[in-house]
Amino acid sequence: MTEKWQLKDHEAERELFSSRLVVASVFVVLLFTALIIKLVNLQVSQYEYFSARSDGNRLHSQYVPPARGLIFDNRGQLLADNQPIFNLTVVREQVGDLNETLDYLDTLIDLSDDEREQFSNRLRRNRVPFSSVPIRYVLSEEDKSKIAVNSFKLPGVAIEPQFVRQYPLKDLAAHSVGYVSEINRGELDSFDDEERENYGGTNHIGKTGIERTYEDLLHGTVGYEIVEKNNRGQVMRRLDRTDPVAGKNISLYLDSQLQIVAEEALGNYRGAVVAIDPNTGGILAMVSKPGFDPNLFVTGISNKNYSVLVTDEINTPLFDRSTNPYPPGSTIKPFLGLGGLHHGLVDYEFTIEDPGYFRLPGVRYRWGDYTLRTAIGGGHGHTNLQKAIYQSCDTFFYDLGNRMGIDTMHGFMAQFGFGENFAVDINHARTGVLPSREWKRATRGEPWYPGDTINSSIGQGYMWATPLQLATAASIMANKGKVIQPRMLKAIDGEPYQPEILDPVSDVVVNDPDYWRYIEESMSMVVHRAYNDVFREYGTAYEAIAMEDREMPYRMAGKSGSAQVVGISQEILQSDDIQVSDPNKDHALFISYAPAENPKIKPQIAIAVFVENGEHGSSVAGPIAKRITDAYLLDILQIDFATLDSPGDELFALADE
Amino acid sequence: MSSQDFIHQSGGLDSKSRNSKSIWRMIHIDPPLLVGISLLCGFGLFVLYSASGGDVPVVRRQALTMAVGLVVMFIVAQFNVHLFRQWAPIMYAAGLGLLGLVLVVGVEANGAKSWLDLPGLPSFQPSELMKFVVPMLMAWYLASRPLPPRFKHLFWSAVMILVPAALIIIQNDTGTAIMVTMSGIFVVLLAGIRWRIVIAGFIALLLASPAWFLFLAQEHQKNRILTFFNPYRDPTGAGYNIIQSQIAIGSGGIYGKGWGEGAQSHLDFIPESNTDFILAVLAEEFGLLGVLFLICMYLFVLVRGCYIAYAANDTFSRLLAGSITLTFFFYVFVNMAMVSGLLPVIGLPLPLMSRGGTSVVTLFIGFGLLMSIQAHEHGHSL
Repeated sequence: MTEKWQLKDHEAERELFSSRLVVASVFVVLLFTALIIKLVNLQVSQYEYFSARSDGNRLHSQYVPPARGLIFDNRGQLLADNQPIFNLTVVREQVGDLNETLDYLDTLIDLSDDEREQFSNRLRRNRVPFSSVPIRYVLSEEDKSKIAVNSFKLPGVAIEPQFVRQYPLKDLAAHSVGYVSEINRGELDSFDDEERENYGGTNHIGKTGIERTYEDLLHGTVGYEIVEKNNRGQVMRRLDRTDPVAGKNISLYLDSQLQIVAEEALGNYRGAVVAIDPNTGGILAMVSKPGFDPNLFVTGISNKNYSVLVTDEINTPLFDRSTNPYPPGSTIKPFLGLGGLHHGLVDYEFTIEDPGYFRLPGVRYRWGDYTLRTAIGGGHGHTNLQKAIYQSCDTFFYDLGNRMGIDTMHGFMAQFGFGENFAVDINHARTGVLPSREWKRATRGEPWYPGDTINSSIGQGYMWATPLQLATAASIMANKGKVIQPRMLKAIDGEPYQPEILDPVSDVVVNDPDYWRYIEESMSMVVHRAYNDVFREYGTAYEAIAMEDREMPYRMAGKSGSAQVVGISQEILQSDDIQVSDPNKDHALFISYAPAENPKIKPQIAIAVFVENGEHGSSVAGPIAKRITDAYLLDILQIDFATLDSPGDELFALADE
Repeated sequence: MSSQDFIHQSGGLDSKSRNSKSIWRMIHIDPPLLVGISLLCGFGLFVLYSASGGDVPVVRRQALTMAVGLVVMFIVAQFNVHLFRQWAPIMYAAGLGLLGLVLVVGVEANGAKSWLDLPGLPSFQPSELMKFVVPMLMAWYLASRPLPPRFKHLFWSAVMILVPAALIIIQNDTGTAIMVTMSGIFVVLLAGIRWRIVIAGFIALLLASPAWFLFLAQEHQKNRILTFFNPYRDPTGAGYNIIQSQIAIGSGGIYGKGWGEGAQSHLDFIPESNTDFILAVLAEEFGLLGVLFLICMYLFVLVRGCYIAYAANDTFSRLLAGSITLTFFFYVFVNMAMVSGLLPVIGLPLPLMSRGGTSVVTLFIGFGLLMSIQAHEHGHSL
């Protein structure tokens, strides 16, 4: 109560208030000064820094991937095309909680565990910050609309169009054309800086076949684009753009029509076909069966699909049989025979008396004649080189090989590409084995035994060759020694392509050019020499080829071969009681070229057919070669042999085209 | 200095245009304050237009809110300030009652249960009312006590401030609670509380703050504090706002990028660009010069407010006017400091710039009270 009566000194209170107001004003000024200092610091001192940060926020340099070059066959049919698809992509930096986003996506479009795993693998790779990483390729229309409707809940998630490889012919030529697939960590690591830059916007790279060999040509050069993005990653404006340079379109010698014929001719067999135009070295057909659909690999093959492809131990669809080696068997005999002539070990008159087996002097072991194992008793009897070729007499070549010796054999055979990869642009092709003393010592640590030479002289033992090598050798034979190395690439952007061969292979030269005619005649007899009264004087493939088609308008030079897969004794094979299981059956081989012995037209196609566990070279592989040759000469080149045989030189030029 | 200038200026205005002055006097409007407020409003709408990305309805609604505010200010200014003095205890009691009511039947919006939706009335926030009711009560209470206030009076003052503040904190509206508390504290400070008590209180606050941080602070509050010290501890989360706002301000430079050219705001990098962070838009588009211009306008209003407080005839008016002016400053400063990274992020709008509804009207009630003090005081003295 006393307080109420206390005198209030109004003047003192006013003074007090005023002084407080002054203090407050000082504080106001101080605080504003602090604020202004802070602002000056931000806007003047750190202007450059924040200006750059602001640009960094909104400006994004992004790669513009180049369009991959197309691959055509020799008639302009597309073998590899680019198709637009829509990908679901994620920019990690713009997604808050990644797992939450993925879970939400899962409720929209059902992400599989596989997809999640592949996505996290992609995220883990080296990548440019703020770049988009695909989580699903090929969005369906339905998924696209689901994402679009909910996009506001999905910051950093976008639908991006992209061109991806498409192989319209699917498993046709899957091995030789190859496929592209996602760049993996190892490939990224192997890039130099320039390459890494060039692949900045590219998800795919050629993995096999032509796609891999000509990756540099097909890929093109990356472009750049500077865009302004808002904080949700949407592109608001394009500010600058350097266009990418598309990859080159390339044309192959491959003829898809012939490829189809070859595939069909192989039927249900596992095997391979390689067909070469001897005049250009161009690979006309290159088949490995069974094939696979390369499209599966483009957008990331699922684990399930992949395991189907790799766990099939018999069919091994991913395995390229056309460029992997097998024992060539008797198909090497014409080459060895030519070597015998060249080195003077045999001549046209030289004959042996074939008892049906061969024995090295002082050795008890008998090398049997495999070609006789189903025949009844005895040998081929009186046999010269020609008969040894068309009848495929092993004993003759055991003797020839034995007298030739491994060193001479190796030297002569190497000229035809055995043991080497003559192909210009099929880098993945294996070289097989053309055995030699050095080779055996290096790989086996053993000396060369005379018996090894005997085995080698019929294309068995250590001798291994790929179907590509056999077709190459046949092509050199067809060219009478002129080597035109096999190749796939015919033209780049329509311009004919001549590869620069750094280490060209020299031609095969023999002492007397007539030897070529003689061997061609012998090979021709393999196909055309008919049955007669004399015991064993027909060509091994006559029944399956020339007898089947008595109207055959051209002559074909060929040689069959059956290669032993495992060492099964003759008794077991000949016994009716025991069934030899399929993977243990002999491989059937056939090499050929045509037309042969034609004065007006040079051989147009050389072929090697390999039929895995096909058993009989002449009756299984031979007709396949015949069918392919027919298709090429008669349907594709449409050579009119009837007119050609009649006099008149102008037609010659026509046909040669 | 500047306040002296201003007094001269207004004095000049007094002598030159007596007629117009008397008209303003009749309608109880203080022309300098009105000019300052109008300029701020105009500039605010101008910046908001750009910040909202040219969203005309948003700007129109804000203009309408400001118009309503001006009308409310005009009405408030018509009442003699002594009427408010008499009604202060009743308004305070009613305010507490409404705050209590909010706890029972309040409506939640933006995480704060602070809205009251009574039948027949537009929905409003009683906590907003407390922003001027608390200083009014404090001014009423202390003006009738001998100054500087005794300890006993300080104790009751603290109770009168903290009860509504606590009720507002319970509503989960820390920002408003701080403002209400500050508006009361300003009265106490201006009333002449002894410096040693102020310093002791300040030290006590400093000592208590670690305890608060460790035991009382909520997770998001701790985050804000930690983010303040290092925004880059979580650059895409808690630190995102302040980082982006600093980038916007810094990249504005001295002259700014130009109206409507702020990349940070137009590409949505600045969150809350229409409300709490509108200063970042302004600083980006108008640069340091733009911000200085804004500070000048605020200073103009502040100086006029201080003058009104200084010139007021009685203690109640002085304390009320001073508190309203300082609270206004506090608002301005806290927002600007938080957006530029000088203070932790507290959800407070920038007066007359940020888009908003109730809080804008509350501001105008404050201006109305200032005008009432100015117009009626002088009318009385003349």
